[in-house]
Amino acid sequence: MNFRPKHEDIGDASGTLPMTSMIDVVFLLLVFFLVTSTFSVSEDRLSAAAKSQRVGTGASDLTPQIVDVMARDGVVVFAMGELATPDARELRRALASLPKEPGVAIRVHDDATVAAAAAALQAARDAGFEKRSYVPADAR
Amino acid sequence: MIDVVFQLVIFFLFTAQFGELTHTEVDLPRQPGEQEASSEKPTFVLDINERGELYLQSDPITVDAFVALVSKEIQRVGSPESVSVRVRPDRLSTAADLNRVTRRVSELGVSRWSIATIAPSGEGAP
Repeated sequence: MNFRPKHEDIGDASGTLPMTSMIDVVFLLLVFFLVTSTFSVSEDRLSAAAKSQRVGTGASDLTPQIVDVMARDGVVVFAMGELATPDARELRRALASLPKEPGVAIRVHDDATVAAAAAALQAARDAGFEKRSYVPADAR
Repeated sequence: MIDVVFQLVIFFLFTAQFGELTHTEVDLPRQPGEQEASSEKPTFVLDINERGELYLQSDPITVDAFVALVSKEIQRVGSPESVSVRVRPDRLSTAADLNRVTRRVSELGVSRWSIATIAPSGEGAP
């Protein structure tokens, strides 16, 4: 019986990298990352100042425009003064015609949806309001 | 060949966003929002799923526990203005769940907060 190592084994022991095994491992890693990687969609944000119910009560404050987001007869509407519409584009048009300095407070009632609250914030942003506040309406 | 494969492995190692895995899967409101400023990272990212349950880094959390964490952070940094909260609400959740959090957080003096949105398909942030 011949237990002496073969010539190529001696070569491996002397420091030569076994490329075949190496490529196997690297390919395995590559396949692992290809399979497990989840390319997350980048998120944006709608910033606002979180405010409590009292809005613009300070004597020196300009009173901000208040937009109520609430459910009426099962439909979420945006209410501002005489306007009451379920259409965020209509709200944006109405807001665009107002002065921007006092800012706008989006008062969201508990029966509204998050999607509607976000739509109102977006409408205020698109209308050019820099100062936007999110005000949770008093719980009933 | 091995060079290219190594490049790919390194690419995936670096681009795999392990941080994102700590977020709970929620269907965010579909609005263009504002462009994300890369340097601005919120102090807390709170997820609200469609059932109104709160998650912080994928762990369920109550409003009280979250408020306690925010309060501790305010004490650590010294000012509520330095603390910001980003909420990732499911678009189908009711505003009541979002309001519960906002009321309590604003009582602590935190006013910097934002709602995470996702641009509707085919649109980017302006």
